[in-house]
Amino acid sequence: MANPKVAFFKFSSCAGCLLNVLNIEPVLLDVLGLIDIEHFVMAKRDNHHGPYTVSFVEGAVTTPKELLELKKIREESAILVAMGTCAVTGGVPSIKNWSGKTQDQLTKTVYAENVNDPFLASFPAKGIDYYVKVDAYLRGCTYDLGEFVELVKRTLKGENPLFRTHSVCEECKLKENVCLLVSKGQPCLGSVTAAGCGALCPSLNRQCEGCRGPANDCNAASLAKTFLEDLGLSKDDVVRKFRKYAGNTPEFSKGAEAAL
Amino acid sequence: MLVEAFVLPKADLGSFVAKLKAGYEVIGPVAKDPEFVFAPIDSAADLRLDYDTTILPPHKKYLAPPKETLMSFSGAAEKTGVPAAAGKQVLFGVHACDVNGMLSLDKVFLGTYPDPYYKTRRENTVIVGLNCTEPCADGFCSSFNTGPGMDSGFDLSLTDLGDKYLVCVGSDAGKALAAGLAPAADADLIAKSKALRASQEKIERHIDTDNLGEFMHQNVENPVWSELKDRCLACGSCTNVCPTCFCFAVKDQVDLTLAAGERPRDWDSCQYLEFSRVAADHIFRPDRAARIKQRLYHKMTYFAQQFDGSPGCVGCGRCATYCIAAIDPVEVMADLRDNPGAEAAVTLYTPPVKKVTPETNPWEPLPAKILAIKQQNYDNKTYTFAFTDPAVQEKYAYVNGVFNEISIFGIGEVPISISSCADVKGSFDHTIRAVGNVTNALDKLQVGDIVGIRGPYGFGWPVEEMKGKNVLVVVGGVGLAPLLGTIKHIANHRDEYGALEILVGARSPKELLFTDEYEELRKIPNSRLLLTVDSTAGVEWGHNVGVVTTLFDKMSSKPDNTIMITCGPDIMMRFAVKGLLGRGWSPEQIYVSLERRMSCGIKKCGNCQIGPIFVCQDGPVFKLADIQGLPEAAL
Repeated sequence: MANPKVAFFKFSSCAGCLLNVLNIEPVLLDVLGLIDIEHFVMAKRDNHHGPYTVSFVEGAVTTPKELLELKKIREESAILVAMGTCAVTGGVPSIKNWSGKTQDQLTKTVYAENVNDPFLASFPAKGIDYYVKVDAYLRGCTYDLGEFVELVKRTLKGENPLFRTHSVCEECKLKENVCLLVSKGQPCLGSVTAAGCGALCPSLNRQCEGCRGPANDCNAASLAKTFLEDLGLSKDDVVRKFRKYAGNTPEFSKGAEAAL
Repeated sequence: MLVEAFVLPKADLGSFVAKLKAGYEVIGPVAKDPEFVFAPIDSAADLRLDYDTTILPPHKKYLAPPKETLMSFSGAAEKTGVPAAAGKQVLFGVHACDVNGMLSLDKVFLGTYPDPYYKTRRENTVIVGLNCTEPCADGFCSSFNTGPGMDSGFDLSLTDLGDKYLVCVGSDAGKALAAGLAPAADADLIAKSKALRASQEKIERHIDTDNLGEFMHQNVENPVWSELKDRCLACGSCTNVCPTCFCFAVKDQVDLTLAAGERPRDWDSCQYLEFSRVAADHIFRPDRAARIKQRLYHKMTYFAQQFDGSPGCVGCGRCATYCIAAIDPVEVMADLRDNPGAEAAVTLYTPPVKKVTPETNPWEPLPAKILAIKQQNYDNKTYTFAFTDPAVQEKYAYVNGVFNEISIFGIGEVPISISSCADVKGSFDHTIRAVGNVTNALDKLQVGDIVGIRGPYGFGWPVEEMKGKNVLVVVGGVGLAPLLGTIKHIANHRDEYGALEILVGARSPKELLFTDEYEELRKIPNSRLLLTVDSTAGVEWGHNVGVVTTLFDKMSSKPDNTIMITCGPDIMMRFAVKGLLGRGWSPEQIYVSLERRMSCGIKKCGNCQIGPIFVCQDGPVFKLADIQGLPEAAL
């Protein structure tokens, strides 16, 4: 049986998620033996049009051109994977959605010259499932390589990966990390953020920044209240925390709104 | 002297631990600033016996670890091995709450279907307890008589008496380890009692345990629960740090051959949405308030109901310590006591007892071959299986209404009711809709392919109680599968039962199962088969149209001397039960199958719990009277 045809694409983002694919060295050759990479501009010169079995898309959609490309990719792909936070929730590019400025004002502020260049036309940044159906998500800035390989394996086996999006606290507790919030009074977002990273940041004594987006049925409003009342954060800080990576999501919006 | 006791001068602790290390890995409390954790130690110098509490309970961490491989495999039904048995270890300095927590976990893992992984670890583990002469900040152990001192569960227990430890012997193994220590004087034992009494008097946090089970059942609708919903983060920390929480999830992992891999179990939490996810992505406990309630009810009453009265809460206080939203069971219980619900007569659910101690690893599926596959309708197939080992098949016996776990290594296991009749030997059937990962994989298999099967599990339909009585069978859609064997049993033993009436409902004609067997069913003497569909969907249909309960007006069955058995979607069973109760039927004569809410099948993983019920072991068939009025509505 022919190997599945796999493609990688990028929209508004830092390209880190595409680069991350190449970081799976220990199993890279095994994975390459199981798939045919048809399109991966960062990694190879020879790229082909669809149809593809699986397409991985990095980046938020924030321009008309990107939106058209996304729709074409969707049409050409049996399975479409949102790869990394920008593609999943809008990510860091979506911070601009909360600037309080119109798109025109933003363009003039950032690009004082050439404001009429059609290349600069843009609209609020969204995750790709705002526009097209997405079959699987790799959360995180950047996503966990173990999850990437797991998704490849499950897809090859024709299975639903059934990734669980319970909170980071699970992975943190199992590592017996000292709780940054309870024991050290730090505003860690782990309790409302989807696990899968292995509690990477708290394990390195850094607060969770919420890059993987909301955990299932999370209660961001309650955590916002803890940040404000118990930890003494300012309203602006709390709002910024919930809008850094996933302000577009209804779950984290509730955290921001609770502080406003 | 009842207690055999010795003294260990603190100056000799180092040599005592060094002696232990010669035969065991010694695991004790060490600092993880500003907290403490249990970890392997090099010497007594690492020990922090002044610890207040640890993040994870030591017994849970080292007897039922967060991640554990059950077996490895090289293909869909080819097991390649089970992990090597754990080595000998000493848990040194375990507090009374955790020792009691371990005794509760023993009931879970060593009860019905003893878990061989836990059992081996338990047998290879020596417990050196440490009585608490100073209470910790958040503990309330004295409420449950699970501290500050321990009465059992240890091989040795230590009590700090200033310049020495009193060492009490709790087992022969402990006595051997105490060899060489000087015997304790009576005064030392008195000093221990005094110290522990003084410690207990200092405990300021308490839960009122008076009539606790009944009290909890009277407060199901207390507004306290919805207030907690607004605070709870659903992060699951409370369950992970709990000394008695035992639930886990099993999910196969494959390597890049896509065929070989491992079947591990990982701790799971009832606080997560996915915990109650069953087939077709249905989540049966979606409400956060219901999940918090399930946990606290489990701690305060269900655990004791399920496991011989063992405490579900040992008062360690960890859930309060580590809750970001500061949800504290002591406060919650005090709130409930301050604003109690109305007192009402409560009968606490007690599970039926069927102690099973298999000779083999209960997790291990045995290879079974697909003998035949029959397409039932557009998305259901009936598979006929027989174990590849004729001796296993020969011994295999089940009652109608019970289920097996079907395993495909690399994908997972599913609990599926048996759809053949127990009277037929030599093979058994499962009728399966391709809806999840395992059932979709089954859908691709052919006659001759091998899968793994373990079972049978649970209690089936009351074929004995039905003898001499009329039987009404109410079926919704695929619910006919677990009922068909019983219908055939009645046909095979026709003179033992009264009139038989079968009401079959489905969404549309194309959803009906076993349609080619209807003629046989109609030939059963003294029986009726009534069919209905919610919608004909444009198909020619000479029967009733409407939900299955619309057949109640057309059926001949009367409540007198009749047993009703039903299986189908929850909502259909709910309306069927309501319809019959309204027509004068009694909860004593109605039996329901809650078969879809199951996971491991052997009362271990905890996923199938509805209130105090373990569906997989107490059911899947229940008498309505036994489950009616449970705090968490079963139907």
